[in-house]
Amino acid sequence: MGRRLLAAVPVLWGVTFLTYVVMDLLPGDTAQILLGINATPAEIRQLSVQLHLNEPFWVRYSIWLGAMFHGSLGTSLQSGQNVTTILGARLPVTAELLLYAFVVSLVLAVGLAVLVARWPNGIMDRFSLVISMMGLSIAPYVLALVLVYLLAVKVHWFPALGYTSPSANLVENIKSLTLPAASLGFPLFAVYTRLLRADIVEQLQREDYIVTARAKGVRPWRILLRHALPNSMFGLITLVGLNLGTLIGATAIIEPIFSLPGAGDILVQSISNHDVPVVEGIVVVFAVVVVVANLLADILYAVLDPRIRYGRVAS
Amino acid sequence: MTGALLDVEDLKVTFAGRGRPVRAVDGVSYSVHPAQTLAVVGESGSGKTVSCRAVMGLLPQTAVTTGSARFAGTQLIGLTDEQLRRHRGADIAMVFQDPTRSLNPTMRVGGQIAEAVRAHRPVSRPQAREQAVDLLRLVRIPLPERRFDEYPHQLSGGMRQRVMIAIALACRPRLLIADEATTALDVTTQAQIMELLLELQAELGMALMLISHDLALAASYADDVIVMYAGRVVEQAPASRLFSRVRMPYTQALLEAIPRLERPAHAPLPVIGGRPPDLSALPAGCPFAPRCRHAADDCRATEPPLAEHEPGHSWACWHPVGGPAGRLAPGNASGGAA
Amino acid sequence: MAASLPDLLATADTARARPPRDRARAGWVLELRLWVPAGFLIVLALACFAWPHIYPVPSPVRGNVLDAGLPPLSPGHIFGTDPVGNDVFSRILYGGQVSFEVGFAVTVIGLAVGGGLGMAAGYWGGAADAIISRVLDVLIAFPALVLALAIAEGLGPSEVHVIWALCVFSIPATGRIARSATLELREQTFMLAARLSGTRGWRVIVRHVIPNIVPQLMTFSLLGFGVIIILEGALSYLGLGIPLPEASWGSMIAQGQQSLTATPDLVLIPSAFLFATVVSLNLVSDALRERWAI
Repeated sequence: MGRRLLAAVPVLWGVTFLTYVVMDLLPGDTAQILLGINATPAEIRQLSVQLHLNEPFWVRYSIWLGAMFHGSLGTSLQSGQNVTTILGARLPVTAELLLYAFVVSLVLAVGLAVLVARWPNGIMDRFSLVISMMGLSIAPYVLALVLVYLLAVKVHWFPALGYTSPSANLVENIKSLTLPAASLGFPLFAVYTRLLRADIVEQLQREDYIVTARAKGVRPWRILLRHALPNSMFGLITLVGLNLGTLIGATAIIEPIFSLPGAGDILVQSISNHDVPVVEGIVVVFAVVVVVANLLADILYAVLDPRIRYGRVAS
Repeated sequence: MTGALLDVEDLKVTFAGRGRPVRAVDGVSYSVHPAQTLAVVGESGSGKTVSCRAVMGLLPQTAVTTGSARFAGTQLIGLTDEQLRRHRGADIAMVFQDPTRSLNPTMRVGGQIAEAVRAHRPVSRPQAREQAVDLLRLVRIPLPERRFDEYPHQLSGGMRQRVMIAIALACRPRLLIADEATTALDVTTQAQIMELLLELQAELGMALMLISHDLALAASYADDVIVMYAGRVVEQAPASRLFSRVRMPYTQALLEAIPRLERPAHAPLPVIGGRPPDLSALPAGCPFAPRCRHAADDCRATEPPLAEHEPGHSWACWHPVGGPAGRLAPGNASGGAA
Repeated sequence: MAASLPDLLATADTARARPPRDRARAGWVLELRLWVPAGFLIVLALACFAWPHIYPVPSPVRGNVLDAGLPPLSPGHIFGTDPVGNDVFSRILYGGQVSFEVGFAVTVIGLAVGGGLGMAAGYWGGAADAIISRVLDVLIAFPALVLALAIAEGLGPSEVHVIWALCVFSIPATGRIARSATLELREQTFMLAARLSGTRGWRVIVRHVIPNIVPQLMTFSLLGFGVIIILEGALSYLGLGIPLPEASWGSMIAQGQQSLTATPDLVLIPSAFLFATVVSLNLVSDALRERWAI
């Protein structure tokens, strides 16, 4: 456990460092970009000095790193706002979107996988395999557009654009996030269902303790839910951990489509603007989330598997 | 046969394989009576496990079962899974070979026993717990209340097998099938578990079926023995009779293969030459003929039927060991093989 | 993006657990499941690359504004034209060329570099493994999207730059698979035998490791191919991929989005091709996995 934490640190550092290097390598004068075409050379020079843009790479990196350890993520080169403030406004939107997509897809996936594992190769099973194949193959941005066309334009069930905060109107909030969450969540749902179904079916067919349970006379649903399902969760947990990074990345495309004021939305803009502090701030937060999520996954393993929790004690 | 607890007649099990179907069980008949101990002996692939699982309906969906298996008068073959479920555990119970894999690793041991109780009886959780603890005591596990809350990986192999037995006995079944129950255990534990099974059999008055490849085990613990080969019964007799007057060359070969102290040191162990038959492509005639010392042309041409040639002793062989008069103990008979 | 490359590690096992079926049917159904999607891919690739040379199509980029906005099934423009007057059908073909080229290039680079690194890490272990694994971990945890966007943004949109950017995904993902497959293989006895016989490292890898992990890498790469195509579409969609007026399915979708209500076909047609291509790749990968019993 401690070892895992320790191993996470260099990864986190590596991510931030790499991001900084990449952003730094982007050609083009940052000050110029920020000030626009009409800036005078004097203005550009002034901004460059102000933002330490002409200092050597290591100096700039250390300044940034140092500031971060003091809790400050710097200021946006573009807007002058505190990066922390920006993130504070935007992260909750992304977080809500991700949570919505993730929870719904997970719950539906478990439900469908269980249902389908009860009657393998039945009609529902084939149907679910088709649906998962579709979910795996569709691009989220394509799905987003299709959903917008069908559910927002053809019928006005959901808004095509825009975001309402939960404090303003909860129902509208949910509605404004539903189509984006569906675009993100459907591929997730597909992957989860496929994996879980395969794992459950494998447990039911290959494992001896399932035969014991049948020989005891336990009812089929109980075998499925109480024996097969808990032992099938491990693959899913690993997958969720691995998946998180991609999921977060996908918000960069989905949020702009729906004009959601989230972190993904601003990420693309900031990259174009060479707004390094903002990009770094977002990247750091994302990397931390991914690392923490994977740690949580490990913990969950221990909780679910008594062999890990109690170790081997032959009495 | 009247009075039989389990009456199996012409049981056949075929698996739809990739290509030709595999006949795992090819017309098996036997009976088990209350309080009797019947041993079913054979190599891997002889069909001994498959036939028992077929009776309980525990085979995968690719298996097609025909024939008759009556338990206390009720026909089991052809019942739906739900109907069979009511018998499983309650009337017939099974103990499996590998207790490590046969227990759910993420569920407490006591819970797995209690589950067996609650599968057939409407008892409350505390009552089921009490019964489970009693069962742990019944199988001679010390400190049963503590063991109840432990996980399978925290117990030794022998203890796990006792837990499996406790699970099997949860609803006091009338027939207990022990499918290679001691094969995965070390010799000392084997003996302990077998003793336990016999004691429990006497205590609870149940019938016991021992499935094994170990003839010595059958000799020591069974009343009657069935020998299976290539999905068929090839010899059937009370234990004492089988070992003193063996008839089937296959059974004799099995007996000879048992290591014995009297043999000279470093003498090679007699093995049965050849390999077990391919069940999807059985030759005409006796399935053992390719490996049999006494095989003759009529053996390869026609399959010998299982017939009760002597009272209580049936065999399926054209040229049984010892000829019509029968032979004495196998030690004398083999001569050249050892 | 939909199912990113690292996730495919896990989904690699999904197709395996198929309950035993009636085998009499399995024979030709299995063939169908492989050859129908594979056939579609082959036909599509041939069409994209060969059709314009064999049978003239209107230029994908020099359309006449006077022909703008024609609906599908108009004479001379079977899929209609886009708002600038370009023929949609020919843009689909040329966009398909881009997708196949990018997918192929990134996949091959991923196999060569990622596969090589992964095999080295798995085979030699020790320090090499530690370093390579850390690097791969960072690359996987890294929001590679950022890198892709940055590269595309910084270097300017172009097909080659898109390929570089997407290699950031495929190299670590392939590396991971190659590494774990090699590790599994290393435990087997024949590997020990090869090493004991004195065969030197690289030869062992070439002679024994590569042939045995090829099936896994291949099925994984097919799935990855689909993901790459989607990602290329995403980059082009954002304007950071293939620059306009060049054709790319992604940018066609972006363009079409602006008139989604009026002319949904401008979005639906490239989307359909994108979808069909990726589905076929996934189906082929699944079918191969089942056939090779991976």
